[in-house]
Amino acid sequence: MKSVVRTEKLTKRFGDLVAVDGIDLDVHEGEVFGFLGPNGAGKTTTLRLLCALIAPTSGTAEIAGFRLGRDDAKIRAAVGILTELPGLYERQSAWDNLVFFATLYGLPTPVANAQAEKYLRLMGLWERRKEPVVTFSRGMKQKMAIARAALHEPRVIFLDEPTTGLDPDAAKTVREFIVALRGEGRTVFLCTHNMDEADRLCDRIAFFRHRVLRIAKPDELRAELYGRATEIRLMPKPRAEDLARVQAVPGVREAHFENGSIVVASADPLLTNPLLVKALVDGGADIAFVTERKAHLEDVYLKIVEPIE
Amino acid sequence: MTAAVLAASPARPTLVRAVCVREWREALGNKLLVGMTLLPPVVILIAGIGAVAAAAVNPPSDRDVQALYASAPAVAGLDPKEAVQGFIATYFLILFMLIPTVVPLTMAIYSVIGEKAARTLEPLLATPVGVGDLLFAKSLASTIPSVIVTWAAYGIYLATVIAIGSRAAVNAVTAPRWILAIVVLVPLLTLLSVNLGILISTRVNDVRVAQQIGGLVVVPVVGLGIAQVTGRVILDNGAFLEMTIVLIILDIAVFWFARLAFQRENILVRWR
Repeated sequence: MKSVVRTEKLTKRFGDLVAVDGIDLDVHEGEVFGFLGPNGAGKTTTLRLLCALIAPTSGTAEIAGFRLGRDDAKIRAAVGILTELPGLYERQSAWDNLVFFATLYGLPTPVANAQAEKYLRLMGLWERRKEPVVTFSRGMKQKMAIARAALHEPRVIFLDEPTTGLDPDAAKTVREFIVALRGEGRTVFLCTHNMDEADRLCDRIAFFRHRVLRIAKPDELRAELYGRATEIRLMPKPRAEDLARVQAVPGVREAHFENGSIVVASADPLLTNPLLVKALVDGGADIAFVTERKAHLEDVYLKIVEPIE
Repeated sequence: MTAAVLAASPARPTLVRAVCVREWREALGNKLLVGMTLLPPVVILIAGIGAVAAAAVNPPSDRDVQALYASAPAVAGLDPKEAVQGFIATYFLILFMLIPTVVPLTMAIYSVIGEKAARTLEPLLATPVGVGDLLFAKSLASTIPSVIVTWAAYGIYLATVIAIGSRAAVNAVTAPRWILAIVVLVPLLTLLSVNLGILISTRVNDVRVAQQIGGLVVVPVVGLGIAQVTGRVILDNGAFLEMTIVLIILDIAVFWFARLAFQRENILVRWR
Protein backbone atom coordinates (compact mmCIF):
# COMPACT_ATOMS: atom_id res chain seq x y z
CA MET A 1 0.00 0.00 0.00
CA LYS A 2 1.17 3.49 -0.80
CA SER A 3 2.12 5.64 2.19
CA VAL A 4 0.87 9.20 2.33
CA VAL A 5 2.02 10.00 5.85
CA ARG A 6 5.25 8.50 7.05
CA THR A 7 7.18 9.64 10.10
CA GLU A 8 10.38 8.45 11.67
CA LYS A 9 11.16 9.29 15.27
CA LEU A 10 9.18 12.51 14.93
CA THR A 11 9.61 14.49 18.12
CA LYS A 12 8.36 17.82 19.40
CA ARG A 13 9.52 19.35 22.66
CA PHE A 14 8.35 22.57 24.29
CA GLY A 15 11.10 23.27 26.78
CA ASP A 16 11.18 20.28 29.12
CA LEU A 17 7.82 18.97 27.94
CA VAL A 18 7.97 16.23 25.33
CA ALA A 19 4.66 16.61 23.53
CA VAL A 20 5.42 14.11 20.77
CA ASP A 21 8.02 11.50 21.55
CA GLY A 22 9.68 9.89 18.56
CA ILE A 23 6.62 8.61 16.73
CA ASP A 24 6.79 6.27 13.75
CA LEU A 25 3.69 6.33 11.61
CA ASP A 26 2.87 4.85 8.25
CA VAL A 27 -0.56 5.92 7.06
CA HIS A 28 -1.77 4.50 3.77
CA GLU A 29 -3.51 6.15 0.87
CA GLY A 30 -7.28 5.83 1.02
CA GLU A 31 -7.54 4.74 4.64
CA VAL A 32 -9.29 6.31 7.57
CA PHE A 33 -6.65 6.35 10.26
CA GLY A 34 -7.86 6.87 13.80
CA PHE A 35 -5.65 8.74 16.25
CA LEU A 36 -6.93 8.19 19.75
CA GLY A 37 -5.58 9.43 23.02
CA PRO A 38 -6.54 11.36 26.13
CA ASN A 39 -6.64 15.14 26.37
CA GLY A 40 -3.15 16.59 26.53
CA ALA A 41 -1.64 13.53 24.87
CA GLY A 42 -0.14 15.61 22.06
CA LYS A 43 -2.67 14.81 19.33
CA THR A 44 -3.15 18.42 18.23
CA THR A 45 0.61 18.96 18.28
CA THR A 46 1.02 15.89 16.06
CA LEU A 47 -1.58 17.23 13.66
CA ARG A 48 0.16 20.59 13.54
CA LEU A 49 3.47 18.87 12.86
CA LEU A 50 2.02 16.80 10.04
CA CYS A 51 0.35 19.87 8.51
CA ALA A 52 3.67 21.75 8.55
CA LEU A 53 2.32 24.34 10.94
CA ILE A 54 5.05 23.82 13.51
CA ALA A 55 8.54 22.43 13.13
CA PRO A 56 9.68 19.17 14.71
CA THR A 57 12.47 19.20 17.28
CA SER A 58 13.89 16.07 15.68
CA GLY A 59 12.89 13.23 13.40
CA THR A 60 11.60 13.27 9.87
CA ALA A 61 8.25 13.10 8.12
CA GLU A 62 7.00 12.79 4.60
CA ILE A 63 3.46 13.87 3.87
CA ALA A 64 1.84 13.36 0.47
CA GLY A 65 5.32 12.79 -0.93
CA PHE A 66 6.75 16.02 0.44
CA ARG A 67 9.46 16.32 3.06
CA LEU A 68 8.59 18.14 6.27
CA GLY A 69 10.89 21.11 6.81
CA ARG A 70 11.84 21.32 3.15
CA ASP A 71 8.52 21.40 1.27
CA ASP A 72 6.26 22.92 3.91
CA ALA A 73 4.18 25.08 1.56
CA LYS A 74 3.65 22.05 -0.70
CA ILE A 75 2.57 19.98 2.29
CA ARG A 76 0.07 22.64 3.30
CA ALA A 77 -1.28 22.67 -0.24
CA ALA A 78 -1.64 18.90 -0.26
CA VAL A 79 -3.39 18.53 3.09
CA GLY A 80 -6.52 19.93 4.69
CA ILE A 81 -7.13 20.40 8.38
CA LEU A 82 -10.21 20.72 10.52
CA THR A 83 -9.05 22.45 13.68
CA GLU A 84 -10.56 21.93 17.13
CA LEU A 85 -12.74 25.02 16.69
CA PRO A 86 -14.29 25.95 13.34
CA GLY A 87 -12.50 29.35 13.20
CA LEU A 88 -14.71 31.00 10.62
CA TYR A 89 -15.17 34.68 9.81
CA GLU A 90 -18.54 34.99 11.44
CA ARG A 91 -19.60 38.35 10.04
CA GLN A 92 -19.10 37.06 6.52
CA SER A 93 -21.29 34.78 4.50
CA ALA A 94 -20.68 31.07 4.06
CA TRP A 95 -19.90 31.75 0.41
CA ASP A 96 -17.37 34.51 1.15
CA ASN A 97 -15.65 32.34 3.76
CA LEU A 98 -15.13 29.44 1.38
CA VAL A 99 -14.14 31.54 -1.62
CA PHE A 100 -11.63 33.43 0.54
CA PHE A 101 -9.95 30.23 1.66
CA ALA A 102 -10.09 28.77 -1.84
CA THR A 103 -8.21 31.86 -3.02
CA LEU A 104 -5.61 31.39 -0.30
CA TYR A 105 -5.19 27.81 -1.52
CA GLY A 106 -4.31 29.32 -4.88
CA LEU A 107 -7.46 28.24 -6.73
CA PRO A 108 -8.30 30.45 -9.71
CA THR A 109 -11.59 32.33 -9.28
CA PRO A 110 -13.78 30.05 -11.47
CA VAL A 111 -12.39 26.95 -9.74
CA ALA A 112 -12.76 28.58 -6.31
CA ASN A 113 -16.40 29.36 -7.05
CA ALA A 114 -17.06 25.86 -8.37
CA GLN A 115 -15.44 24.22 -5.34
CA ALA A 116 -17.30 26.48 -2.91
CA GLU A 117 -20.58 25.55 -4.60
CA LYS A 118 -19.71 21.83 -4.64
CA TYR A 119 -18.97 21.67 -0.92
CA LEU A 120 -21.80 23.96 0.17
CA ARG A 121 -24.22 21.69 -1.68
CA LEU A 122 -22.56 18.56 -0.30
CA MET A 123 -22.91 19.87 3.24
CA GLY A 124 -26.50 20.99 2.69
CA LEU A 125 -25.64 24.66 3.15
CA TRP A 126 -26.17 25.93 -0.38
CA GLU A 127 -29.51 27.57 0.39
CA ARG A 128 -27.92 29.58 3.21
CA ARG A 129 -24.73 30.53 1.40
CA LYS A 130 -25.43 34.27 1.54
CA GLU A 131 -26.10 34.37 5.25
CA PRO A 132 -23.42 35.42 7.72
CA VAL A 133 -21.88 32.47 9.52
CA VAL A 134 -22.76 34.01 12.88
CA THR A 135 -26.37 32.96 12.25
CA PHE A 136 -25.38 29.30 11.78
CA SER A 137 -25.80 26.55 14.34
CA ARG A 138 -22.74 24.80 15.75
CA GLY A 139 -23.33 21.85 13.46
CA MET A 140 -23.53 24.09 10.40
CA LYS A 141 -20.33 25.85 11.37
CA GLN A 142 -18.60 22.50 11.79
CA LYS A 143 -19.81 21.44 8.34
CA MET A 144 -18.50 24.73 6.96
CA ALA A 145 -15.11 24.07 8.55
CA ILE A 146 -15.03 20.57 7.08
CA ALA A 147 -15.95 21.98 3.68
CA ARG A 148 -13.08 24.43 4.02
CA ALA A 149 -10.67 21.60 4.85
CA ALA A 150 -11.71 19.69 1.72
CA LEU A 151 -12.12 22.65 -0.62
CA HIS A 152 -8.82 22.23 -2.44
CA GLU A 153 -9.21 18.44 -2.80
CA PRO A 154 -6.32 17.55 -0.49
CA ARG A 155 -4.79 14.08 -0.52
CA VAL A 156 -4.84 13.90 3.26
CA ILE A 157 -7.45 15.45 5.52
CA PHE A 158 -6.73 15.84 9.21
CA LEU A 159 -9.90 16.03 11.26
CA ASP A 160 -9.66 17.03 14.91
CA GLU A 161 -12.84 15.98 16.74
CA PRO A 162 -15.11 16.44 13.73
CA THR A 163 -18.37 15.41 15.40
CA THR A 164 -17.89 16.81 18.89
CA GLY A 165 -20.98 18.70 19.99
CA LEU A 166 -22.96 17.87 16.86
CA ASP A 167 -26.51 16.57 16.89
CA PRO A 168 -26.98 13.04 15.53
CA ASP A 169 -28.12 14.26 12.13
CA ALA A 170 -25.12 16.56 11.61
CA ALA A 171 -22.76 13.88 12.98
CA LYS A 172 -24.19 11.40 10.49
CA THR A 173 -23.56 13.84 7.61
CA VAL A 174 -19.97 14.26 8.75
CA ARG A 175 -19.43 10.51 9.04
CA GLU A 176 -20.93 9.95 5.60
CA PHE A 177 -18.61 12.61 4.27
CA ILE A 178 -15.61 10.82 5.78
CA VAL A 179 -16.69 7.58 4.15
CA ALA A 180 -17.12 9.40 0.84
CA LEU A 181 -13.62 10.83 1.12
CA ARG A 182 -12.23 7.35 1.63
CA GLY A 183 -14.25 6.23 -1.40
CA GLU A 184 -12.44 8.86 -3.45
CA GLY A 185 -9.11 7.43 -2.35
CA ARG A 186 -8.33 10.23 0.07
CA THR A 187 -6.71 9.59 3.39
CA VAL A 188 -8.47 10.76 6.52
CA PHE A 189 -6.47 11.20 9.71
CA LEU A 190 -9.13 11.23 12.38
CA CYS A 191 -8.59 12.45 15.95
CA THR A 192 -11.57 11.60 18.07
CA HIS A 193 -12.69 10.71 21.57
CA ASN A 194 -15.77 9.02 20.16
CA MET A 195 -14.87 5.32 20.32
CA ASP A 196 -17.98 4.18 18.52
CA GLU A 197 -17.21 6.55 15.67
CA ALA A 198 -13.59 5.37 15.52
CA ASP A 199 -14.76 1.76 15.52
CA ARG A 200 -17.20 2.35 12.69
CA LEU A 201 -15.03 4.54 10.50
CA CYS A 202 -11.39 3.67 10.98
CA ASP A 203 -9.48 1.10 9.02
CA ARG A 204 -6.69 1.29 11.55
CA ILE A 205 -6.31 2.97 14.89
CA ALA A 206 -3.30 4.34 16.71
CA PHE A 207 -3.53 4.70 20.47
CA PHE A 208 -1.38 7.61 21.44
CA ARG A 209 -0.09 9.31 24.52
CA HIS A 210 2.94 11.38 23.58
CA ARG A 211 4.13 8.27 21.76
CA VAL A 212 2.35 5.64 19.73
CA LEU A 213 1.25 2.86 22.07
CA ARG A 214 -0.34 0.54 19.53
CA ILE A 215 -1.48 0.57 15.91
CA ALA A 216 -3.87 -2.06 14.59
CA LYS A 217 -7.26 -2.67 12.98
CA PRO A 218 -10.11 -2.30 15.50
CA ASP A 219 -11.06 -6.00 15.23
CA GLU A 220 -7.47 -7.06 15.74
CA LEU A 221 -7.18 -4.90 18.82
CA ARG A 222 -10.28 -6.44 20.32
CA ALA A 223 -9.25 -9.97 19.45
CA GLU A 224 -5.77 -9.46 20.76
CA LEU A 225 -6.89 -8.23 24.12
CA TYR A 226 -9.97 -10.34 24.76
CA GLY A 227 -9.72 -13.26 22.35
CA ARG A 228 -12.68 -13.89 20.05
CA ALA A 229 -15.82 -15.05 21.75
CA THR A 230 -19.11 -16.45 20.53
CA GLU A 231 -22.34 -16.19 22.45
CA ILE A 232 -24.91 -18.95 21.94
CA ARG A 233 -28.42 -18.55 23.28
CA LEU A 234 -30.50 -21.69 23.55
CA MET A 235 -34.25 -22.14 24.02
CA PRO A 236 -35.50 -22.29 26.71
CA LYS A 237 -32.10 -22.20 28.47
CA PRO A 238 -28.79 -24.08 28.22
CA ARG A 239 -28.26 -27.28 30.13
CA ALA A 240 -25.07 -28.67 31.69
CA GLU A 241 -24.90 -31.30 28.95
CA ASP A 242 -25.02 -28.55 26.32
CA LEU A 243 -22.02 -26.89 27.94
CA ALA A 244 -20.19 -30.23 28.02
CA ARG A 245 -20.86 -30.77 24.31
CA VAL A 246 -19.57 -27.29 23.54
CA GLN A 247 -16.42 -27.80 25.60
CA ALA A 248 -15.71 -30.99 23.67
CA VAL A 249 -15.66 -29.25 20.28
CA PRO A 250 -12.13 -29.00 18.81
CA GLY A 251 -10.72 -25.46 18.91
CA VAL A 252 -12.73 -24.35 21.94
CA ARG A 253 -10.47 -22.80 24.53
CA GLU A 254 -13.05 -22.07 27.17
CA ALA A 255 -16.83 -22.08 27.60
CA HIS A 256 -19.10 -20.99 30.43
CA PHE A 257 -22.66 -19.98 31.27
CA GLU A 258 -23.38 -16.29 31.32
CA ASN A 259 -26.81 -14.68 31.68
CA GLY A 260 -28.63 -17.63 30.18
CA SER A 261 -26.22 -18.08 27.30
CA ILE A 262 -23.12 -20.11 26.68
CA VAL A 263 -20.10 -17.94 25.96
CA VAL A 264 -17.39 -19.72 24.03
CA ALA A 265 -13.82 -18.51 23.49
CA SER A 266 -12.03 -20.06 20.55
CA ALA A 267 -8.95 -19.41 18.48
CA ASP A 268 -10.86 -19.12 15.23
CA PRO A 269 -14.63 -18.70 15.49
CA LEU A 270 -15.04 -19.02 11.71
CA LEU A 271 -13.89 -22.65 11.96
CA THR A 272 -15.33 -23.44 15.37
CA ASN A 273 -18.83 -21.95 15.16
CA PRO A 274 -20.25 -24.40 12.57
CA LEU A 275 -18.94 -27.29 14.71
CA LEU A 276 -20.53 -25.77 17.82
CA VAL A 277 -23.89 -25.42 16.11
CA LYS A 278 -23.75 -28.98 14.79
CA ALA A 279 -22.78 -30.38 18.20
CA LEU A 280 -25.63 -28.59 19.94
CA VAL A 281 -28.24 -29.48 17.32
CA ASP A 282 -27.11 -33.11 17.37
CA GLY A 283 -27.56 -33.00 21.15
CA GLY A 284 -31.15 -31.84 20.76
CA ALA A 285 -30.67 -28.21 21.75
CA ASP A 286 -32.80 -25.48 20.20
CA ILE A 287 -30.57 -22.56 19.17
CA ALA A 288 -32.14 -19.10 19.36
CA PHE A 289 -29.12 -17.26 17.99
CA VAL A 290 -25.36 -17.38 17.61
CA THR A 291 -23.52 -14.09 17.71
CA GLU A 292 -20.01 -12.78 17.93
CA ARG A 293 -19.33 -11.19 21.27
CA LYS A 294 -17.46 -7.99 20.60
CA ALA A 295 -15.45 -6.12 23.15
CA HIS A 296 -16.07 -2.38 22.93
CA LEU A 297 -13.24 -0.30 21.57
CA GLU A 298 -13.55 1.77 24.71
CA ASP A 299 -12.50 -1.29 26.74
CA VAL A 300 -9.49 -1.72 24.50
CA TYR A 301 -8.66 1.97 24.79
CA LEU A 302 -8.89 1.91 28.56
CA LYS A 303 -6.73 -1.18 28.74
CA ILE A 304 -4.00 0.23 26.47
CA VAL A 305 -4.03 3.93 27.23
CA GLU A 306 -5.14 4.30 30.82
CA PRO A 307 -2.53 2.14 32.60
CA ILE A 308 0.23 4.51 31.55
CA GLU A 309 -0.31 7.15 34.22
CA MET B 1 -8.73 7.08 -7.74
CA THR B 2 -7.81 10.22 -5.86
CA ALA B 3 -8.86 13.51 -7.43
CA ALA B 4 -5.97 15.84 -8.17
CA VAL B 5 -4.95 18.30 -5.48
CA LEU B 6 -6.00 21.74 -6.70
CA ALA B 7 -4.04 23.91 -4.31
CA ALA B 8 -0.84 25.87 -4.77
CA SER B 9 0.67 28.97 -3.21
CA PRO B 10 -1.35 31.95 -4.45
CA ALA B 11 0.34 34.80 -6.29
CA ARG B 12 1.17 37.66 -3.93
CA PRO B 13 -1.17 40.23 -5.58
CA THR B 14 -4.02 37.70 -5.40
CA LEU B 15 -3.32 37.07 -1.73
CA VAL B 16 -3.08 40.78 -0.92
CA ARG B 17 -6.34 41.51 -2.75
CA ALA B 18 -8.16 38.62 -1.05
CA VAL B 19 -6.93 39.56 2.44
CA CYS B 20 -7.68 43.26 1.94
CA VAL B 21 -11.20 42.63 0.64
CA ARG B 22 -11.94 40.24 3.49
CA GLU B 23 -10.59 42.60 6.14
CA TRP B 24 -12.48 45.56 4.71
CA ARG B 25 -15.72 43.58 4.65
CA GLU B 26 -15.09 42.55 8.22
CA ALA B 27 -14.26 46.14 9.25
CA LEU B 28 -17.34 47.57 7.55
CA GLY B 29 -19.47 45.11 9.51
CA ASN B 30 -18.02 46.40 12.77
CA LYS B 31 -19.81 49.68 13.55
CA LEU B 32 -17.51 50.45 16.48
CA LEU B 33 -14.45 50.12 14.28
CA VAL B 34 -16.00 52.23 11.52
CA GLY B 35 -16.85 54.90 14.11
CA MET B 36 -13.38 54.83 15.62
CA THR B 37 -11.87 55.08 12.14
CA LEU B 38 -13.93 58.05 11.04
CA LEU B 39 -14.15 60.00 14.29
CA PRO B 40 -10.55 61.37 14.49
CA PRO B 41 -10.44 62.75 10.93
CA VAL B 42 -13.93 64.20 11.24
CA VAL B 43 -13.11 65.92 14.56
CA ILE B 44 -9.80 67.30 13.30
CA LEU B 45 -11.41 68.42 10.05
CA ILE B 46 -14.30 70.20 11.76
CA ALA B 47 -11.98 71.77 14.34
CA GLY B 48 -9.50 72.89 11.64
CA ILE B 49 -12.12 74.40 9.36
CA GLY B 50 -13.89 75.97 12.33
CA ALA B 51 -10.66 77.54 13.62
CA VAL B 52 -9.71 79.00 10.23
CA ALA B 53 -13.27 80.33 9.76
CA ALA B 54 -13.30 81.79 13.29
CA ALA B 55 -9.95 83.47 12.68
CA ALA B 56 -11.37 85.00 9.48
CA VAL B 57 -14.32 86.44 11.42
CA ASN B 58 -12.74 87.47 14.74
CA PRO B 59 -9.77 89.86 14.71
CA PRO B 60 -7.00 88.75 17.08
CA SER B 61 -5.94 90.91 20.06
CA ASP B 62 -2.68 92.88 19.86
CA ARG B 63 -1.15 90.66 22.51
CA ASP B 64 -1.97 87.52 20.49
CA VAL B 65 -0.49 89.09 17.38
CA GLN B 66 2.75 90.06 19.14
CA ALA B 67 3.06 86.59 20.60
CA LEU B 68 2.43 85.09 17.19
CA TYR B 69 5.05 87.27 15.47
CA ALA B 70 7.54 86.26 18.17
CA SER B 71 6.92 82.51 17.83
CA ALA B 72 6.50 82.44 14.05
CA PRO B 73 8.85 84.94 12.40
CA ALA B 74 7.69 83.79 8.96
CA VAL B 75 4.34 85.55 9.41
CA ALA B 76 5.82 88.74 10.86
CA GLY B 77 4.70 91.78 8.90
CA LEU B 78 1.54 90.17 7.57
CA ASP B 79 -1.89 91.54 8.32
CA PRO B 80 -2.75 90.20 11.85
CA LYS B 81 -5.92 88.43 10.70
CA GLU B 82 -4.06 86.83 7.81
CA ALA B 83 -1.15 85.90 10.05
CA VAL B 84 -3.40 84.19 12.58
CA GLN B 85 -5.20 82.27 9.84
CA GLY B 86 -1.91 81.19 8.33
CA PHE B 87 -0.67 80.08 11.72
CA ILE B 88 -3.85 78.12 12.52
CA ALA B 89 -3.90 76.52 9.07
CA THR B 90 -0.31 75.31 9.58
CA TYR B 91 -1.02 74.10 13.12
CA PHE B 92 -3.90 71.96 11.92
CA LEU B 93 -1.72 70.50 9.19
CA ILE B 94 0.34 68.99 11.99
CA LEU B 95 -2.82 67.67 13.61
CA PHE B 96 -3.61 65.92 10.32
CA MET B 97 -0.47 63.91 10.98
CA LEU B 98 -2.27 62.45 14.00
CA ILE B 99 -4.80 60.69 11.77
CA PRO B 100 -2.30 58.17 10.33
CA THR B 101 -1.14 57.32 13.84
CA VAL B 102 -4.57 56.79 15.39
CA VAL B 103 -6.80 55.33 12.65
CA PRO B 104 -4.62 52.49 11.31
CA LEU B 105 -3.55 51.51 14.81
CA THR B 106 -7.15 50.68 15.67
CA MET B 107 -7.66 48.80 12.42
CA ALA B 108 -4.46 46.78 12.81
CA ILE B 109 -5.26 45.91 16.41
CA TYR B 110 -8.75 44.72 15.47
CA SER B 111 -7.30 42.81 12.54
CA VAL B 112 -4.98 40.67 14.69
CA ILE B 113 -6.84 40.52 18.01
CA GLY B 114 -10.07 39.86 16.11
CA GLU B 115 -8.50 36.84 14.42
CA LYS B 116 -7.06 35.65 17.73
CA ALA B 117 -10.45 35.88 19.41
CA ALA B 118 -12.28 34.17 16.54
CA ARG B 119 -9.60 31.45 16.34
CA THR B 120 -9.29 32.02 12.60
CA LEU B 121 -5.51 32.22 12.55
CA GLU B 122 -4.88 28.47 12.53
CA PRO B 123 -6.95 27.73 9.41
CA LEU B 124 -5.39 30.80 7.81
CA LEU B 125 -1.89 29.57 8.60
CA ALA B 126 -2.76 26.08 7.36
CA THR B 127 -2.96 27.42 3.82
CA PRO B 128 0.16 27.46 1.63
CA VAL B 129 0.61 31.24 1.94
CA GLY B 130 3.84 32.60 3.38
CA VAL B 131 3.49 34.36 6.74
CA GLY B 132 5.56 37.28 5.48
CA ASP B 133 3.11 37.74 2.62
CA LEU B 134 0.21 37.41 5.02
CA LEU B 135 1.68 40.06 7.32
CA PHE B 136 2.32 42.33 4.35
CA ALA B 137 -1.27 41.85 3.15
CA LYS B 138 -2.64 42.57 6.61
CA SER B 139 -0.46 45.69 6.87
CA LEU B 140 -1.77 46.96 3.56
CA ALA B 141 -5.36 46.17 4.52
CA SER B 142 -5.05 48.61 7.43
CA THR B 143 -2.75 51.09 5.69
CA ILE B 144 -4.74 51.72 2.50
CA PRO B 145 -8.02 52.90 4.08
CA SER B 146 -6.16 54.98 6.66
CA VAL B 147 -4.13 56.77 4.01
CA ILE B 148 -7.25 57.32 1.91
CA VAL B 149 -9.15 58.71 4.91
CA THR B 150 -6.25 61.06 5.76
CA TRP B 151 -5.85 62.24 2.18
CA ALA B 152 -9.60 62.73 1.83
CA ALA B 153 -9.73 64.76 5.05
CA TYR B 154 -6.75 66.82 3.89
CA GLY B 155 -8.39 67.35 0.49
CA ILE B 156 -11.56 68.68 2.13
CA TYR B 157 -9.49 70.88 4.46
CA LEU B 158 -7.45 72.19 1.53
CA ALA B 159 -10.56 73.01 -0.53
CA THR B 160 -12.25 74.72 2.42
CA VAL B 161 -9.21 76.83 3.34
CA ILE B 162 -8.83 77.88 -0.29
CA ALA B 163 -12.52 78.84 -0.29
CA ILE B 164 -12.68 80.75 3.01
CA GLY B 165 -9.10 81.35 4.13
CA SER B 166 -6.72 84.27 3.73
CA ARG B 167 -3.78 84.27 1.34
CA ALA B 168 -1.44 83.33 4.20
CA ALA B 169 -3.66 80.38 5.12
CA VAL B 170 -3.85 79.23 1.50
CA ASN B 171 -0.07 79.61 1.16
CA ALA B 172 0.39 77.51 4.30
CA VAL B 173 -1.81 74.62 3.22
CA THR B 174 -0.55 74.57 -0.36
CA ALA B 175 3.13 74.85 0.55
CA PRO B 176 4.93 72.14 -1.48
CA ARG B 177 6.66 70.74 1.61
CA TRP B 178 3.30 70.22 3.35
CA ILE B 179 1.77 68.60 0.31
CA LEU B 180 4.83 66.38 0.05
CA ALA B 181 4.52 65.66 3.77
CA ILE B 182 0.93 64.58 3.33
CA VAL B 183 1.81 62.48 0.27
CA VAL B 184 5.00 60.91 1.68
CA LEU B 185 4.91 61.11 5.47
CA VAL B 186 1.31 60.01 5.90
CA PRO B 187 1.86 56.56 4.32
CA LEU B 188 5.12 56.15 6.25
CA LEU B 189 3.49 57.10 9.56
CA THR B 190 0.54 54.84 8.76
CA LEU B 191 2.78 51.86 8.08
CA LEU B 192 4.63 52.50 11.33
CA SER B 193 1.41 52.67 13.27
CA VAL B 194 0.00 49.54 11.58
CA ASN B 195 3.03 47.39 12.27
CA LEU B 196 3.26 48.68 15.83
CA GLY B 197 -0.39 47.75 16.22
CA ILE B 198 0.29 44.26 14.86
CA LEU B 199 3.34 43.88 17.08
CA ILE B 200 1.41 44.94 20.19
CA SER B 201 -1.51 42.68 19.26
CA THR B 202 0.75 39.66 19.26
CA ARG B 203 1.32 40.22 22.98
CA VAL B 204 -2.09 41.24 24.30
CA ASN B 205 -5.63 39.97 23.78
CA ASP B 206 -7.57 43.04 24.80
CA VAL B 207 -8.27 45.68 22.17
CA ARG B 208 -8.39 48.47 24.77
CA VAL B 209 -5.05 47.53 26.31
CA ALA B 210 -3.48 47.34 22.85
CA GLN B 211 -4.89 50.76 21.99
CA GLN B 212 -3.53 52.26 25.20
CA ILE B 213 -0.06 50.91 24.50
CA GLY B 214 -0.26 51.83 20.81
CA GLY B 215 -1.50 55.31 21.68
CA LEU B 216 2.04 56.17 22.72
CA VAL B 217 2.90 56.51 19.05
CA VAL B 218 0.88 59.74 19.06
CA VAL B 219 3.21 61.35 21.59
CA PRO B 220 6.09 62.22 19.21
CA VAL B 221 3.68 63.78 16.71
CA VAL B 222 1.96 65.86 19.40
CA GLY B 223 5.38 66.83 20.75
CA LEU B 224 6.44 67.95 17.30
CA GLY B 225 3.27 70.03 16.98
CA ILE B 226 3.87 71.71 20.34
CA ALA B 227 7.52 72.34 19.48
CA GLN B 228 6.52 74.00 16.24
CA VAL B 229 3.75 76.10 17.77
CA THR B 230 6.12 77.33 20.47
CA GLY B 231 8.77 78.09 17.87
CA ARG B 232 11.27 75.58 19.20
CA VAL B 233 11.29 73.64 15.94
CA ILE B 234 10.98 75.03 12.45
CA LEU B 235 9.57 72.43 10.07
CA ASP B 236 11.56 73.41 7.01
CA ASN B 237 12.53 71.22 4.04
CA GLY B 238 15.53 69.81 5.90
CA ALA B 239 13.39 68.79 8.86
CA PHE B 240 10.90 67.01 6.57
CA LEU B 241 13.71 65.16 4.82
CA GLU B 242 15.13 64.07 8.18
CA MET B 243 11.70 62.93 9.35
CA THR B 244 11.20 60.97 6.13
CA ILE B 245 14.51 59.15 6.57
CA VAL B 246 13.81 58.40 10.25
CA LEU B 247 10.35 57.10 9.41
CA ILE B 248 11.66 54.84 6.65
CA ILE B 249 14.21 53.35 9.06
CA LEU B 250 11.57 52.95 11.78
CA ASP B 251 9.14 51.35 9.31
CA ILE B 252 11.70 48.78 8.24
CA ALA B 253 12.71 48.07 11.84
CA VAL B 254 9.16 47.69 13.14
CA PHE B 255 8.11 45.53 10.16
CA TRP B 256 11.15 43.35 10.83
CA PHE B 257 10.15 42.92 14.48
CA ALA B 258 6.54 42.27 13.50
CA ARG B 259 7.77 39.68 10.99
CA LEU B 260 9.78 38.00 13.75
CA ALA B 261 6.71 37.84 15.98
CA PHE B 262 4.50 36.71 13.10
CA GLN B 263 5.80 33.16 12.73
CA ARG B 264 3.51 30.16 12.33
CA GLU B 265 4.82 28.37 15.38
CA ASN B 266 4.86 31.53 17.53
CA ILE B 267 1.30 32.32 16.60
CA LEU B 268 -0.03 28.82 17.26
CA VAL B 269 1.98 27.94 20.34
CA ARG B 270 2.92 31.14 22.14
CA TRP B 271 0.18 33.63 21.29
CA ARG B 272 -2.61 33.51 23.79
